[in-house]
This record gives sequence, C-alpha cells and structure tokens, in this order.
Amino acid sequence: MGSTDATLAFARGPLFYTALLIFIAGMAYRLVSVLLLGWKRDRVPNKGSKLRGVAVTYAKGLLIFPFIPWVKKTFRGNQTTYLAGGMFHFGLFVVIFLGTAHMLVWKSLLGFGWPTLALPIVDFLSAAAIVAMIALFVNRLANPVLRLISGPSEWLNLLIVFLPMVTGYGLTHHRLLGIVALPYENLYLMHMMSINLMLIWIPFSRISHFMFYFFSRTYHGAQAGKRAVMP
Amino acid sequence: MADETIYQYLLREGVSRRQFLKICGALAATLGISEASPLLAAGLARPTRPTTRLVAEALASKPRVPVMWLNFQDCTGCTEALTRSLSPTLTDLVLNKITIDYHETLSAASGVQADENKRMMMETYAGQYLLVVEGSIPTGANGNYCTIGGRTAVDLLQEAAAGAAAVIATGNCAAFGGIPMAQPNPTGAVPAYQLITDKPVAHIPGCPAIPEAFTGTLVNFLVFGKLPELDDLNRPITFYGTTVHDRCLRRPFYEAGKFANSFDDEGARKGWCLYKLGCKGPTTYNACAGIKWGGGLSFPIQSGHPCLGCSEPNFWDNGGFYQGQSAPISRPTITVAGAALAAGAVIGVANAAANRLQKRHADADEEITESLSG
Repeated sequence: MGSTDATLAFARGPLFYTALLIFIAGMAYRLVSVLLLGWKRDRVPNKGSKLRGVAVTYAKGLLIFPFIPWVKKTFRGNQTTYLAGGMFHFGLFVVIFLGTAHMLVWKSLLGFGWPTLALPIVDFLSAAAIVAMIALFVNRLANPVLRLISGPSEWLNLLIVFLPMVTGYGLTHHRLLGIVALPYENLYLMHMMSINLMLIWIPFSRISHFMFYFFSRTYHGAQAGKRAVMP
Repeated sequence: MADETIYQYLLREGVSRRQFLKICGALAATLGISEASPLLAAGLARPTRPTTRLVAEALASKPRVPVMWLNFQDCTGCTEALTRSLSPTLTDLVLNKITIDYHETLSAASGVQADENKRMMMETYAGQYLLVVEGSIPTGANGNYCTIGGRTAVDLLQEAAAGAAAVIATGNCAAFGGIPMAQPNPTGAVPAYQLITDKPVAHIPGCPAIPEAFTGTLVNFLVFGKLPELDDLNRPITFYGTTVHDRCLRRPFYEAGKFANSFDDEGARKGWCLYKLGCKGPTTYNACAGIKWGGGLSFPIQSGHPCLGCSEPNFWDNGGFYQGQSAPISRPTITVAGAALAAGAVIGVANAAANRLQKRHADADEEITESLSG
C-alpha cells in the first residue's frame, strides 16, 4: 500500500476527529471567555425594541446592503476590500454548504442533508472566491496602511484559508492550480491536511469572526434598538 | 514440454491456424497494446508491426509459461469470476491451454498427488514460472490460521515465490489485504507483497478482480516476458490508469448535479448519479466502467448500485459504503462533541475567573498606592 493512502486514511480519520474536537472546544472557550468579560448593568429603560433592532441590523447587513453597497461608507472607502471580500464570502458559503461533496460531510456529521447546486455553478463560484482571495492578498500588499497594520497572523489567516480552497478546487479537476496533474489521492490528502490545520487554527485566530460576527451584530443591533436609533 | 512453443502446443490441442490468429487478435485487444498513432488511425501510415502479429509471433516462438495459483485467505471469488467471465476463448485459453499447471481449487488431483505435482513443477520450471496469489496471508499465531497439507500459508508462499519469475497478486485480499485484513484483523493478515520483497509483484485488486484485467496481465507476461507497466501501487496502468468516475456512464448527471437521493426515488429510476448514495467512483481506480462485467454487459453503477471502491486499499475500513465518498472516516459522537464543548467552556470560565482575580488584585494595589500617596 502506498504511504499516501495510509496518510490519507489518517487525515480523514483520527486527525480530522482530533482537529474537529479542538475546533469545538476552542470555539466554546472563546465564546465563554467573551461572555464572561462582564456586562454593564442595564440601568436605562428601553426607548425602543431590542428585538426590532436585531432584526433590522441583520436585514440591512445581510439582505439589503450587499446589493446596494454604494450607500455605505465602507464601500466608498475600500471598494476592493468590499467587492473582493463579498465575492470571497459568498463563494465560500456556496462551496461549503451547497457543494455536493461538502453537503455529504455535513450529512455524515449532522445526520441530515439538503439539496445542492450543480457542479459547474459551485466550481465557478469557488474559482471566483480564489480570485477574490488573491485580489485581497495583493490589496493587502499594495495598500500601505493595510500593510502597516498586518502582522504575521493576518498573513497566516490568508494562507490557511487559501490552502483548502486551492487544494479543493484542484481536487475536482485532478489538477493543482489547474495546471499540475496529480493523482486524486494526493490532492485529497493536501485538502484534508489543510482543512485539519484550519480547524485547529480558527478558534485562536480572527477567522473565528464567523461566529463573533453574529455575536457582535446581535449585541449592537439590540443596543441600537433599545435606544430607538435604527442601525 | 518446455521446448514446445505455445503455437505448437495449441496445434496439438486441435486449434487451427485461423483460430490461433483470432485468439492473438483478441489477446492484443485485451492487452490494450495498440500502436495506433493518429497517422495510423487515419490510414495515412502503414503499421510497421501489427499488434496481432506481435502477439502471434510471441506465441509462435515462446514456450508455455507455467503458472502456479495459490489460494490463501480468500473466498475463491477471483477464480470464480475468471472461470465465469464471458470471454470463453480467452479464459479457456489462459486457464486450460496456455498456462495454469497448479491451481488448488481447479486441479483434478488432490492431497499428496497435488502436492507432488506442485513440487515437480517447482523443480522443473525453477525461476521460470509465474506465481498467482489469491487471498491474504495470516501471520498471527505463527501463521497457523491458514494451513494447507500441514504447512502454513507464509511457508508455502515463500517457498513458491523463491522459484517464481514474477508474482501476480489477484484480488484485493492478495494485493492489499482485503476483508481478512480489515479491522480488527484477527488473523494478522498481510498482503502478498509484504512477504515477497525480492520479486516483482503485480497487483490486480478488486473484489473480485476483473477477469480481463487478470488475463491481460498474464498475457502481457506471455508476450513480452515481463509484467506490464505498473503504477505506484503496482497495478497495471492499462487497467487501473483511470477512476471508475472518469469513465462512468452516469458522469454527466454528476456534472449536472442530478443525483439519486435514495434507491427508489425519481432520480434512481431515471438513472441519475449515485454519488449521494455513497458512490466511491471518484477515488476508485479500476476498469469497471470501461471493460464492465459479464462480457461488457453491465457493472455495479450501471445496475443501480454505488461503487464500493473494492479495488482500493483498505476499502473495508474507509468509511461506510453508503456514506458519502467525501465524508470523514471517523466522526465524534454527540457525547464526545458535547464533552469537548464542555471542556472548552470550563477552560473559558476558569480563564475569566483568573482574569477577575487579577483585576481585583490590581484594583486593591491601586487603592493602596492611592492611600499611601494621599
């Protein structure tokens, strides 16, 4: 038996198992730490509805603003970041949740599945997400302010998210970067290894914003709703 | 008998010259030895040496290659598949006429006589015969889980391999350990190549191995006197060069995202892709989708069942057959995941408590400093 197969079985088996547990424990640790930082006592009576504030902030942030970005100052100031960032997140979401192979991973973990999109659509969006990531990387390199505030962890974040995406795209085409033909197993191994690395890395990096984004949006939405100033 | 060529032998057996050439054509096709360059295919160039002639010349000039077939921890399914394959001339030729001198299941002789035959064969054709291994070899309990005539499989294999020109391990058990080696591997089974280190070993994995892949490899040895070109897992590239997925007739449905979600839904009836039902086609290197089974009649995916990946190493332990091909092999249970969640939360609480304690100390220190200065 080739060493690739043994390593692949390890990467898909015990290593993934361990990485997933570290991910779960790490995220729980982060969330609890933040929750226990302390809350200011709420002494002021509500002027408006907290719930309404939360609803409005999500509706605007996820459903309306992405389609009329020019009304936002963030967009006018950083168009590359906004557009490439948007394309990256959208592509990533589609690939992770609506790609058939990934849905089967969720199904094996959660016990239920859902309909998925056709391969060419997922394939196109994953390519778009990869291009967006490269654009974000170049932007970070070229923009003097961004470069100034980028430490090693920022560059590592980019790399650690980039690796699973490139190897995953290569996996569907049996070619790394669309050029180097490699056996499926080798690409699968690279993909699983980079995924395992990412799972372990996420809780201790800013990629954990996939959870804290919702945390902070809910909190700020509620605060705005309480003061009856719609976000 | 060693001096007699295959052609002479076949003539003596009542095969006509015309039949012989037809057989050679069939063998050339099975081998996949085609010298057809684009020029040849378009009829713009004359073949210098037609493949049929290549095979015919080899068979007419070469002596028979004796084959010894050893069965160990197997179900004899590979032999069954071979004897029942629907290319009768070919199989008949390979099994009965050209080669096989000793086969534990098929031989008419039994007991001491069969053993004696084998011993004679090993002496007469030392260094020339081809050894075919079917089934894995147990090493646990001093190899006593599988004995033939009072001798262990390890012993028999090593003795036979010592005088062999080359070894063909047929079926997943002989090639990669197969079902006997699946966890917890009670007999300590190992594939043949782990015990034969000084001889070339060709793998024809599958459960069972595709008969045409086996005969093709055998004939390659007959014609060229060596094993065919092998990949990094020692499989002949001719038969194991592409995945089942690559040649699958349901592939267009995969690309289009049309899947059967259960074995009796609309998609299953329409013959859509079986990927969601756990098909391992994308990671399985075999010729099923091309050569197919039963003389090109069908193969599992065509018949409506996902590929199990039976020609891959560890196929029995590589996740569930009906679990997605991309699914992880081991998954934490809800209890283990919950324990991880709780552990993380406890560390978070401890961390927060430590922070507060530190803050309180800092505040106290500040007060003392203030009172001292004030």
